[in-house]
Amino acid sequence: MSIENLISKQNRDGGWAYVRGGSWTEPTIYAMLALSSAGESIAVRRGADWLRSIARPDGGWPPRAGVDESTWVTALVGLLPPETIGEAFHRKAIDWLMDTTGEESSAIYRLRQWLLGNPTPASDRDYPGWPWIPGTAGWVGPTSFAILALEKEDHRRASRKVRHRIEGARQFLLRRTCEGGGWNHGSSRPLGYPSRAYPETTGLALAALRGVRSPEVSQGIAMAKGFLADCRSADALNWLRLGLRAHGELPPGFCTPTDVEYRTTQDQSLDLVMTAGEQGQEYFWG
Amino acid sequence: MMAAAGAAALAACKGHSPETVARAGHPAGPTDGKDRQPSSIPDGNNRPAAVQLPRVSILSVPAYTQDLYDIARRMVADHQLDVRGRTVVLKPNLVEFEPDSSINTHPLLVHAAYEAFRAAGAATVRIAEGPGHRRITLDLADAAGYFRTIPRFEDLFVDLNLDDVTRVWPKSEFSAMEKLYLPNTALGADLLVSMAKMKTHHWVGATLSMKNLFGTVPGGVYGWPKNMLHWSGITECIADLHTVYPNQFAIVDGIVGMEGNGPIQGTPKHAGVLVAGRDPVAVDATCCRIMKIDPLRIGYLRLATINPAVLAEENIEQTGEKIATVATPFNLIPEFSGIRLG
Repeated sequence: MSIENLISKQNRDGGWAYVRGGSWTEPTIYAMLALSSAGESIAVRRGADWLRSIARPDGGWPPRAGVDESTWVTALVGLLPPETIGEAFHRKAIDWLMDTTGEESSAIYRLRQWLLGNPTPASDRDYPGWPWIPGTAGWVGPTSFAILALEKEDHRRASRKVRHRIEGARQFLLRRTCEGGGWNHGSSRPLGYPSRAYPETTGLALAALRGVRSPEVSQGIAMAKGFLADCRSADALNWLRLGLRAHGELPPGFCTPTDVEYRTTQDQSLDLVMTAGEQGQEYFWG
Repeated sequence: MMAAAGAAALAACKGHSPETVARAGHPAGPTDGKDRQPSSIPDGNNRPAAVQLPRVSILSVPAYTQDLYDIARRMVADHQLDVRGRTVVLKPNLVEFEPDSSINTHPLLVHAAYEAFRAAGAATVRIAEGPGHRRITLDLADAAGYFRTIPRFEDLFVDLNLDDVTRVWPKSEFSAMEKLYLPNTALGADLLVSMAKMKTHHWVGATLSMKNLFGTVPGGVYGWPKNMLHWSGITECIADLHTVYPNQFAIVDGIVGMEGNGPIQGTPKHAGVLVAGRDPVAVDATCCRIMKIDPLRIGYLRLATINPAVLAEENIEQTGEKIATVATPFNLIPEFSGIRLG
């Protein structure tokens, strides 16, 4: 999709739909990043206005207007350059992330489980991830997005507290690798039966584990390279590109196969953002 | 009497008296003398259905062939679904794709249903799904053969994970869900056709037409997986979600189902049947019997009925094949050995 096409799909309220219809937070942020990479400022400003208009009193963001809960998309707001959304809103997003964990890590939940005779592993306490929505468990996707946002924040304004949270969350990811390598949504052995990795979550988790050296990361890279060769999903390929590039392992000169279909605003925007990143214009870290 | 006492005990365990359940507005069972069938899709003869038992048809279908098109038309006619001028939404079970597996509703069956409802005069027929684990819905559909099998699939399809949503309050109150955001495509359907796969399930025993409605809970709001449903109680959420959609028809693809560690990692199981009806509870209870699973030991089926007696075989009018002639035991993981029909 061209930049012009992306601009043409902007809703009147300033946001973007995933495919069609009302504006959602996630595709709006990806579209804003893509447009920023092309130097478009008016559409980005309208997107930021819409984002500010739906910010919630608790400092988080809902997945779309009209939903009265802050969710994982707050991490994506935290990924935006502070000057895009405004320093105060950026700060709120980071604070919301720092105050949010998977419910399995909460003291109340752990105490309740202990009283019921089902003590939870110490790793749930020591290595908290992030949930899709508060009050539920941590998962690979939202934890990876939160790590990326906090890593950028720590780079910008170093903080021991933020660093500690990032390190714990990376352990969260390393403990959820699938047998044979890579990551799925975060359930690597449901009921003790091994489950397989997905390309999109493997790429995303690898991006969040940028700079980490471990057998799990090495296995994940090998798995991601295999996925990259076979995969025809635009979304999966976008995240694989980011994950492999985070470790300097994206094959030189890699081109997305020509038969890949870009079906959503997310597919199209992220392709532009990944291409910009491969050309030195980085939005996910640094 | 024992069954009724069991219902009362179960309701009490959940903090609900049977009276509370009735007030919650759940469709009443035939033993209550009320109509269990959806109300706004009248049957073709405009006959009152108040005293009828829920009807479930069991069709012997050995394979996925072109015969499905004729079978689907007969199924729609047989159940006297008057969809003229209405909006019909087909909700297949599209979870993940693995070659040589039987995770998903077969695309040929979905297309046959699409053609059948169009032929019956539906103004609009859409295909809609929101997978629970993976975000790449259209890519999954592509890999699962939907694009190859269904002409103009992308135009007909709505990704329920990414659709516009409306806040609703489930009528029943078994789960911890107070409110729920659901996709407008599913809420706006005059008839929601749950096209489930006949599978065992490692959390709830069996996944059929009722559990299939989890796919209408939008990942765009709740994430991948839709973990809110787990924290609110899977069994209870299935029962609650069932009440949100009053106008349903169920078609369960048991031509090749899945046994063992379903709903994803099990093994294909040929049962050679399609099971259909307007009452999802009755359809799912019948499917359980075909799978040699005791429907009274499936938690969500118990919750979805005020009186468990409505799940009894004699309280469901079965047409087509007899259960005994098509029943075939689906292997169960050890955790669910206790639900085997004795």
